[in-house]
Amino acid sequence: MTPNNRRCVVSGLGVICAVGNNVEETWKNALNSVSGIHKTTSLDTKNCYADLAAEVNCDTLDQIESPDEKDRASKLCIKAAKEALNDAGLGDFADSSRVSVIIGSCVGGVLSIEKYHCDGKDANEIPKMPIAAIASQVAESCHAGGIVTNVGNACAAGTISIAVACDLIRAGKADVVIAGGSDSFASVPYSGFLSLHALDENGCSPFNHCNGITLGEGAGIVIVESLEHAEKRNAKRYCEILGAGVTSDAHHITAPREDGICLLEAMDRAVKNSGIKKSDIGYLNAHGTGTGKNDNAEINAFHKFFDEENPTLSVSSTKVMTGHCLGAAGAIEAVFSIKALTTNTVLPTLHYSAEDSEALKAKVGQMDYVQNTPRAKELECVMSNNVAFGGTNASIVFSKKPGDVQSQVAKDKKIAVTGVGIVSPLGNSKEAYLESVKNGKLPESASICSTVTNDDYKELGIKMAFYRKLDNLGQLQTVSGMRALKDANLTVTEDNAKQIGIIVGTSEGGLGATYDFQELITKEGNAGGSAFKFPHTVYNAAGGYLSILSGIKGYGVTITTGPLSGLDSIGYSMNVIHDGQEQVMMATGTDENLPIITEFCQKLNVAADKVVEPYSNSNGFVVGDGSISIIIENEDYAKARGAKVYCYALGYGNGRKNVKFGHVSGSGEALDIAINAALKDAGVSIDEIDAVCGFANGLKKLDDIEKSAYARVFGDKLAGLPLFQVKERVGEGRAASAALAAAEAALMLGGELAEENAYFVANDGSVSKKKVSTAGFKKILVTSFATGGSYNAVVLGK
Amino acid sequence: MANEEIKSKLKAFFMSDLGVDGDVLNYDTPLFGEEIGLDSVDSLEIISFVDDNFGVSMTGVAKENFQSIDTIAAFIEKNKA
Repeated sequence: MTPNNRRCVVSGLGVICAVGNNVEETWKNALNSVSGIHKTTSLDTKNCYADLAAEVNCDTLDQIESPDEKDRASKLCIKAAKEALNDAGLGDFADSSRVSVIIGSCVGGVLSIEKYHCDGKDANEIPKMPIAAIASQVAESCHAGGIVTNVGNACAAGTISIAVACDLIRAGKADVVIAGGSDSFASVPYSGFLSLHALDENGCSPFNHCNGITLGEGAGIVIVESLEHAEKRNAKRYCEILGAGVTSDAHHITAPREDGICLLEAMDRAVKNSGIKKSDIGYLNAHGTGTGKNDNAEINAFHKFFDEENPTLSVSSTKVMTGHCLGAAGAIEAVFSIKALTTNTVLPTLHYSAEDSEALKAKVGQMDYVQNTPRAKELECVMSNNVAFGGTNASIVFSKKPGDVQSQVAKDKKIAVTGVGIVSPLGNSKEAYLESVKNGKLPESASICSTVTNDDYKELGIKMAFYRKLDNLGQLQTVSGMRALKDANLTVTEDNAKQIGIIVGTSEGGLGATYDFQELITKEGNAGGSAFKFPHTVYNAAGGYLSILSGIKGYGVTITTGPLSGLDSIGYSMNVIHDGQEQVMMATGTDENLPIITEFCQKLNVAADKVVEPYSNSNGFVVGDGSISIIIENEDYAKARGAKVYCYALGYGNGRKNVKFGHVSGSGEALDIAINAALKDAGVSIDEIDAVCGFANGLKKLDDIEKSAYARVFGDKLAGLPLFQVKERVGEGRAASAALAAAEAALMLGGELAEENAYFVANDGSVSKKKVSTAGFKKILVTSFATGGSYNAVVLGK
Repeated sequence: MANEEIKSKLKAFFMSDLGVDGDVLNYDTPLFGEEIGLDSVDSLEIISFVDDNFGVSMTGVAKENFQSIDTIAAFIEKNKA
């Protein structure tokens, strides 16, 4: 049985979607087989072949603090989160580090992107655009002070968020997690799916007519709580959350594998991680979008996986009611799954005629695809699946019983850093970076960017048939990822493909591509979208392309929280290895500097007008970018394959003091918390730290936060402690810079970077700089930040 | 519009909108083969481009018409008003 300290329970639910504005209303309408799909009232449908959508009708979304500072996606999410917290008997957390927020989203603040572009380029819209705003603003609304992040895996993001929430609790990183997903209906996804001919003009008809999807919108929230915490406060307990499985197709950026074998692998992992039998699952809430490709792949996977041991499993898709709510889908469907489990009621897929039922039977045999009306059925476990662009598959199990959950099974294993791939404005290889450091190369202007060329593709053997599809972010990510694999001397084969995973950390992800798509449809109308460009708008496209190119089929998650995402990718990857999910993880930080990104920085008055260096007390920073990929692996696995080891990833920690998203001032103490948490996780004392790779970029208010925190944490030791700042060379590359700081630490510990410029902060706060030898370093602390008040730290050591 | 002009317009479209390297794209190069690697998403873009620029609908048209710039141009020539 799952030990009590690894049990995760659900103590609160919240939902808003086209079927209802809260759980009670939504569930009541679902039981009455009500569909929320109607003709859209919010978008221009001129020349568009499909005009249906499942839109939320709620006039109280603005009844929150500072609604003008929030995108509709945040408002929907805050509403659902408030309901869920209320349901769980929880309120304000006073910045408690034990309370986390993990929210999935596909298009995030896309309505604010549209407003900015079409309505006078108002700078106030900019902070509302990135997905990262959502979890941050939810955390701000209830003062959650733990790990706050978003999952950007498009249509599987909601499910993955809940899975990550459980992983954090089981790793001892949180007691309560507000987990779920949110997305709003908007022109970009509407036009994008139109361009793919993936909308059904008659409304989606999953497993039935399968002519396409119908878009919806909404948010779903599940309060995930450690059993111990829930018991202590005598909380309501809906059910347990058992294991989950996340895999990558390594196949196509929009289409799922026809054979469904990687979805099958995700379900297999979910069942194995839960410690249950396939036959324990009574109901499966399928992804069931209504496209032929998805539904047939799912039917194939369900046959292969369940036919022998659970041939009469009940299956349905609730998307005929809610529409496809993208990043919220998995979260809303989690709420449905949990309600189904606790009330012993299987929800139906709607709109089947007698003839349709016959046709379905021919396809699915004796499996019980529940149609038209709910079915009473005694349920012990319910599975919910979602898949996404980028080839992501996710499966999770909700249960009345504790199961035998497999987590932290490899907690005692050391984690080795074995490969580094660097793409930066200084060049597209580790060697180019080291050479630039040696030559003291500095930025040539206040806005710099990385440029991938055909030479990179040629050297890495990447064919034109592949690279022609990549947008800029995908180019940066695939080149750095392939370089990291090469540096680690790791060949992806059929045998190890499932043992390797990828976590991409990104601050803005597909924001630039989304803006580009918005520009296109503003000009051409919603009927004029581009099927070629649309896939780039999802934040996990870059990671998806890397998986397709490399053949990596294991865990594949894109996290987006701001700059620190590039360092969180290492912490979360450590957790995936400790959970025994993968032997090897590629942790990356990737962000791009398109002209629009520099425009945003300028409008927000954070872009410097000339080259500045860290601690220069400037009013802005150099805007940069890049992609850094770092291979970490179970030490046993690294040794067995004779890998060179740069250093070890010893521990990670996070801290947060809530301030408004887009701001940092007043949150500095949370960096102390993050550093102390990382040291504790690593079992390392502050005196053992030989150097810090930090995040200063020249902007005074940010650099002062960093300096002050180090002064508090290191005390007298600070004056003699070398601080390394990669942004002096690559600018503020957000997640790329955070990962580069870690890569630089690994290069120092691995003996490949013998000398580097170090900054020293004297007792009076003044800063000096000199070149130091890195030869004696044994342990290095790496830190990063995100606006909204989040900080993290990782300890790397020999 | 002369056949040559249609072909050159198509080639420019493949290069600018579908990321194809012009150096390896001849009028008879197989578009859906290993070298160029177009797929179903790209065919949607081709259909949309041909419709917008030549007023010819290729929706639901047999695969062999999409084989190369030559075959697409021939289809356009044959079907334009």
